[in-house]
Amino acid sequence: MKPGKRDAHTLVGAYAMDAISAPDRERFERHLAGCEECAREIASLREATAVLGAAAAEPLPAGLKERVMAAAAMTRQQPPADEAKAKPNARGSWPRSLAWPGRLVLAAGAAAAAAVLALAVVFGVTNGSMRQQLDQAQASSQQIAAVLTAQDAVMTSGPVSGGGTATIVMSHTRHALVFTAQGLRALPASRGYELWLIGPAGTRPVGMLPAGSHGMTGPVIASGLRQGDHLALTAEPAGGTARPTAPMMLDVDL
Amino acid sequence: MTATGSQEPRNPARPAPAASAGAGQGSNRAGQGSNRAGQGSNRAGQGSDRAGQGSGLAAQIGLVARGDPAAFDAVFEQIGPSVFGVVKRVIRDSAQSEEVTQEVLLEVWRNAAKFDAGRGSATAWVMTLAHRRAVDRVRSVQKESERERRIAAADIPYDEVVEAVESSLERERVRRCLNSLTEVQRESVTLAYYRGYTYGQVASLLGVPTGTVKTRMRDALIRLRDCLGVAE
Repeated sequence: MKPGKRDAHTLVGAYAMDAISAPDRERFERHLAGCEECAREIASLREATAVLGAAAAEPLPAGLKERVMAAAAMTRQQPPADEAKAKPNARGSWPRSLAWPGRLVLAAGAAAAAAVLALAVVFGVTNGSMRQQLDQAQASSQQIAAVLTAQDAVMTSGPVSGGGTATIVMSHTRHALVFTAQGLRALPASRGYELWLIGPAGTRPVGMLPAGSHGMTGPVIASGLRQGDHLALTAEPAGGTARPTAPMMLDVDL
Repeated sequence: MTATGSQEPRNPARPAPAASAGAGQGSNRAGQGSNRAGQGSNRAGQGSDRAGQGSGLAAQIGLVARGDPAAFDAVFEQIGPSVFGVVKRVIRDSAQSEEVTQEVLLEVWRNAAKFDAGRGSATAWVMTLAHRRAVDRVRSVQKESERERRIAAADIPYDEVVEAVESSLERERVRRCLNSLTEVQRESVTLAYYRGYTYGQVASLLGVPTGTVKTRMRDALIRLRDCLGVAE
């Protein structure tokens, strides 16, 4: 046995327990691809680690199952392996919805900028913060348009627990998504809806959703999407929080 | 315009989750039923317990792959507490552990069709997913320095594990098997598995060369596997 191979093989224990750094893991997985014996050994060791895990079982927090069941109800399942390989883009979450045509979302995006613009015209753009707001609205509007018109833009739609429907248009090439909602339950003035990106890169607040108007909330742009991110929505104190403190009302696998 | 504005739509408690909760209650009973069945065979014998539990879960996951929500509910009842337990053991923070548990179970829902019973038990499949996600979460979230400080401050995890694994037949079995290991083997396993440390971190914590830790980890898992009677 070559020393290198032998060395790789001693990693089976560490690998079976994920006790291995990312570069080591990659190197070992290359070895694993050609080592049927290693794969068998790891599978058998994982039967043991699974029992270690089961020994740590704890009662589930209240509501967790219901949240996941609700999320599953609107989460598209992956087809069996072969089919998935043929359609890499099938890694979707919600089914495409016809309830919210993309054009409507685009109109909503334009409306946000138009609303600020209308105010600016009425009051005269003499106010610095107003101009800034207008610039921001236009910039955000451009970002929104960029997502909506991206070639790989995908629209998904689903219910928010607590009431309302969320619609997301996402572009992986732009690393961004546009979020809108309809019919979100009104919250007391002291609270607001906060949007989150949650994934291997950590939990990042996207920001507070603006107050709804005519039952419509948003659009809000979330940029900086990373691989494996989820989009989540919670009801938080009006000033926003650094981490979600309330139950997820929406948790979409992106 | 103002009239429409003031008429905020008021949706009563959301029908969608209520509906799934209703469905959940029905199969909840089914889940409890199979739990009792599992415990029964547990008393009958360790070997048949493992096989019985495993194949039951595998069958449910097969149904989940076809989009059966009642089967998903049953899977939840059976393995949800184990997933949450191991994730929380690694991550510690309750809120984050809940998030990761949700991600794991949603991944089970999404990828149920990818489960291959020929390559291991359903329990191992789900628990591997759960542990990997938990470990990835702590490693990506924590700054390296922060992590090192926590390692330095780490108490001996073994007592904690022993404490946590008391009071059930399964836990008693795990405790007994962990006790059959040498000290370095046991600490390597508990630090790696329950704390989510890499073998390099375990080596520095125990003051043992990395090569030794790698070997001890493998030897320990082989002994555990044989002691637990989970070898195929």
